[in-house]
Amino acid sequence: MAEAPRLSHSSAMILQAIAAGHIYGYTVMEVTGLPSGTVYPALRRMERDQLIRSHWERQSIADAEQRPPRKYYKLTRSGETTLEASRKRYPLLAKLASTEEVQDA
Amino acid sequence: MKREWLQHTILRVASSLAPYDQRGEWLEQWRSELWYVPPSDATRFCLGAFRDAIWLRRNSMGTVKQPRMHLESPLSCLVFLAAVGAVGFLIAVCLSGPLKQISLYSDLRPRDLPAAFIAMLTFSCLLLPGTLAVWRSPANRHSTTWKSKLRRGVFLALKIALVQPIMLCGLMFWILIAPVGIFAPLGMAASLIAALRWVITDQQRRCPVCLRLLTHPVRIGAPSKTFLEWYGAESTCSRGHGLMHVSEISGSYSKKAQWVRLGESWSGLFSTRQS
Repeated sequence: MAEAPRLSHSSAMILQAIAAGHIYGYTVMEVTGLPSGTVYPALRRMERDQLIRSHWERQSIADAEQRPPRKYYKLTRSGETTLEASRKRYPLLAKLASTEEVQDA
Repeated sequence: MKREWLQHTILRVASSLAPYDQRGEWLEQWRSELWYVPPSDATRFCLGAFRDAIWLRRNSMGTVKQPRMHLESPLSCLVFLAAVGAVGFLIAVCLSGPLKQISLYSDLRPRDLPAAFIAMLTFSCLLLPGTLAVWRSPANRHSTTWKSKLRRGVFLALKIALVQPIMLCGLMFWILIAPVGIFAPLGMAASLIAALRWVITDQQRRCPVCLRLLTHPVRIGAPSKTFLEWYGAESTCSRGHGLMHVSEISGSYSKKAQWVRLGESWSGLFSTRQS
């Protein structure tokens, strides 16, 4: 089995934020503290590397809430494996935006 | 309201850097995200769009075929350069009249233009070694015949000669705009270096065997899996002579672009293959 690819700390933080439920661009920025010029290219790069996948929210849902539709991101199986490897490499990563925190909010 | 106008303008300007076929969705995503950003952070947020658009452009292989000139074959490239060069030379002849009105060039006659052309060609030849020094020719593990080397050399020399009339025309325009000062020689040197750079870049993108432009670029590998591996782009010769591997990073194992020659067993995949 191929070894999971290594990620930079910023990319690992973004992956952790998505895994924790911050599934669109601006919330990833908020929780990681990274600027937009870092987050959006990183999201594209990780999508290209098939660590995450994206989909647009249905227009009807956005219309009902009177806001523009959002592009949501989700971890792939490969992304989950990579995140697990990154958590071992960066032990403090798990403390960033833990899943419980998001669920409580 | 004024700030919203500024932010939308920033996004609109940044979108011009994104590839044409992905620009609509790119802009839609940034506008959508902007809606959720507090007004105090919105301008800084939008400035990040430039970096994202540049990343997208650099990493987009162009899924939609864009309209482009058909200069794949070396002959069509030379014919095109010759046609543009002839037009440039005619314009230069026409411009010699207005230039005479500038005291510095009052003695200029149309028959002096060939001499100017030769002077520019000489100047280009002087600049060529410096430009070639930064050109990393592709590593080729297979021996190349002297005929092939000669053909590549002649093609390069013809391209350099044919861009000179175009540069001469541009230089005369430049002199008309800025007749005095150091701008004319500086502009000339900069444009000659840019022209030589194009000539060499075009040469790098061609098959070393048939001199046709390499096609069908595909991405190989991933930046996050680089241990003893390379990642970058691979282009193919449409006649099936080989593949060009261009690494995105310069490692000890991938300093140069690698030319991989394809054997006869591949010929079935390329119907138009000619030796």
